Amino acid sequence: MKLYEFEGHNLLSKVGIESPFFVACSNMEEVEQARQRLRFPIVAKVQVLSGKRGKGGGIKICTNEKQLLDFCKGMFGSTFADEQVRFISLAEKAQIEGEYYASITYDTTLKIPFLLFSKSGGMDIEEVKKNSPDEILRFDIDPFSGPNKKELFKNLGDEKLVDFLVRLWDAFVRYDCRLVEVNPIAKVGDDYLAVDAKIILDDAGLARHRDLDVLQKGSAGAVPTERELAARKIDEEDYRGSAGSTFIEFGGDIAVLASGGGASLLVMDALSEVGGKPSNYTEYSGNPPQEKVEKLTEITLGKEGLAGCLVAGAVANFTDIYATLAGFCDGLLKVKPKPNYPIVIRRGGPRQKEAYEMLERFAKKEGFDIHLFGPETPISVACKKMVELSEEFKRERPGL
Amino acid sequence: MAILVDSETKVLIQGITGKSGLSACADLLDYGMKVVGGVTPGKGGQEALDLPVFNSVKELVSDLGPVDCAMVNVPPLLTLDAAMEAIDAGIPLIHIFAERVPVLDTCRILYRAKEKGVRVLGPNSVGAISPSEGKVGSIGGPNAKITFSKGPVGVISKSGGMCSELGSMITNAGFGQSTVVGIGGDLLVGTTFVDVLEMFEGDPQTKVAVMFGEVGGNAEIEAAKLVAEKKFTKPLIIFLAGKFAEKLPKDTALGHAGAIVGLDSTMEQKVASIKKSGAILAENFEDIPGILKKVIK
Repeated sequence: MKLYEFEGHNLLSKVGIESPFFVACSNMEEVEQARQRLRFPIVAKVQVLSGKRGKGGGIKICTNEKQLLDFCKGMFGSTFADEQVRFISLAEKAQIEGEYYASITYDTTLKIPFLLFSKSGGMDIEEVKKNSPDEILRFDIDPFSGPNKKELFKNLGDEKLVDFLVRLWDAFVRYDCRLVEVNPIAKVGDDYLAVDAKIILDDAGLARHRDLDVLQKGSAGAVPTERELAARKIDEEDYRGSAGSTFIEFGGDIAVLASGGGASLLVMDALSEVGGKPSNYTEYSGNPPQEKVEKLTEITLGKEGLAGCLVAGAVANFTDIYATLAGFCDGLLKVKPKPNYPIVIRRGGPRQKEAYEMLERFAKKEGFDIHLFGPETPISVACKKMVELSEEFKRERPGL
Repeated sequence: MAILVDSETKVLIQGITGKSGLSACADLLDYGMKVVGGVTPGKGGQEALDLPVFNSVKELVSDLGPVDCAMVNVPPLLTLDAAMEAIDAGIPLIHIFAERVPVLDTCRILYRAKEKGVRVLGPNSVGAISPSEGKVGSIGGPNAKITFSKGPVGVISKSGGMCSELGSMITNAGFGQSTVVGIGGDLLVGTTFVDVLEMFEGDPQTKVAVMFGEVGGNAEIEAAKLVAEKKFTKPLIIFLAGKFAEKLPKDTALGHAGAIVGLDSTMEQKVASIKKSGAILAENFEDIPGILKKVIK
């Protein structure tokens, strides 16, 4: 989960990393109130999850009230880097004597955390890497004992800077981060302040930080949709297997219930390849209980204007196909209005044959248009069939 | 010859009294594996599927003697402690099943394992199978004998489902597999594509390798490098999944915790490095049997 800058500062303050005094505002009234507590020049920064705010005009140093109010009025509700601006932070501009860069993340090849430090703060680190790679220092980190303070001091020669970096590690470990990045770290007098904070939390670690005060984020967008939040709740309430943890809405007309991390990617590629427009991406896997698939089905098919539903996955190892597809049927019965669009199912694995016999009876009894494909049919063929059936369905109902 | 496991591999299961531990245990016994016992703290002295249960890995080893592989089948937030126990008891191979183990915990497990010379498979791994030799983990489930068959094709995938899908597809095409390895879909895993390819290189049974690649990470590029540097000299067929996701914002994670859009390398970079290396890129998933027919003569 990516954090907004102001959420990042709040998290860093818990390990003793300070930032220039700031107020995060969500409307003009709050801006006007905050303005009373701050002295000009005030730095106004839009709070969006994508980087490159400076270059895109999302940061403005305001020297008077008019500048500040004009900037905020123009920004609130506008779209910045594909994201709606909901928050703007206002901070007093610090008297900065030097700017540095630091980040901690995982090296996925060496499988260890590492710290990058550069004396060229405030610049795009990718550009520094390209143009002057010698200016970037790298320190590999023992994940048990943290960064080697002696080594840091030897290279940086400043006790307070070393202290700042060790605190950054504290934040990284204590809150299960995948990335902490401060660019720039500002030297103000003898102290070091975080002028920016980019933090990505490890989603798998969130379970140990239920008390952390951060806003829910979407899988792809900054703001989760209602369906996305409902889908996420399924796993939060029951740890067995997974269903709906990732739910992305695309706006197409074919609902997708994929299975498995790998197969779900294959399904989406294959569906897009033959011109299918997925309504969503989601998956269930690891033998989730019947009720979890039922809930996910209800949420996924709860969207209006669908013209098809694709339930597809690979040959399962240990997922009970009968139980999970029975869950799909339970969910299907709850969807209002009753789905009359074609449903294509492609699965294999434990109790698949039994499951398909049950589905045939179910489709006949309840009046659903279900098309079944076993493991002998490639996933791509099932996807093609889905698109053909869906097109036919739409032709017969031109009003859709 | 098999890599990682064979018919003599002695296995213990941590979390043997839990639902996933029990079902994995039943499938292993059905496949003829030597499961010596299991561990569930507080349940020492009990039995699970007629096997002895101990309070700790150390107790089990001192009672039953050395074990080749510990399967960790405990919930994600308990995985760190369980895996550390197995590492400290000197078990040479540890399989970790759980999905959603925090990356910090994984990092610590792998760091300690490396210091002690222990191989970790996973986390979030379905396991490994050498058909008609042996298996660890939940790979193939109760249908392992139908899905997989013995032969010359080495298979590697992060995804458990795709291990079975590939096994089934290759079996139906008239080929069999040497070993099928599910390495796990997390950001950090103990055994990577490159590690398995190095094992396949030294395995005379493996004549060709098939790899199911995904969006995110560097693993496919590292594998391509191995081919380019002639450290893997057998034909390598790679399929890449997740092209649709390139349109999503950078840092979007999909299904697998390691399938993060734009992390380390893009799909385009992966395709380019595979094509340049001499590995074979399968444009469509169902092209794989046809390519196998061409390269196995």
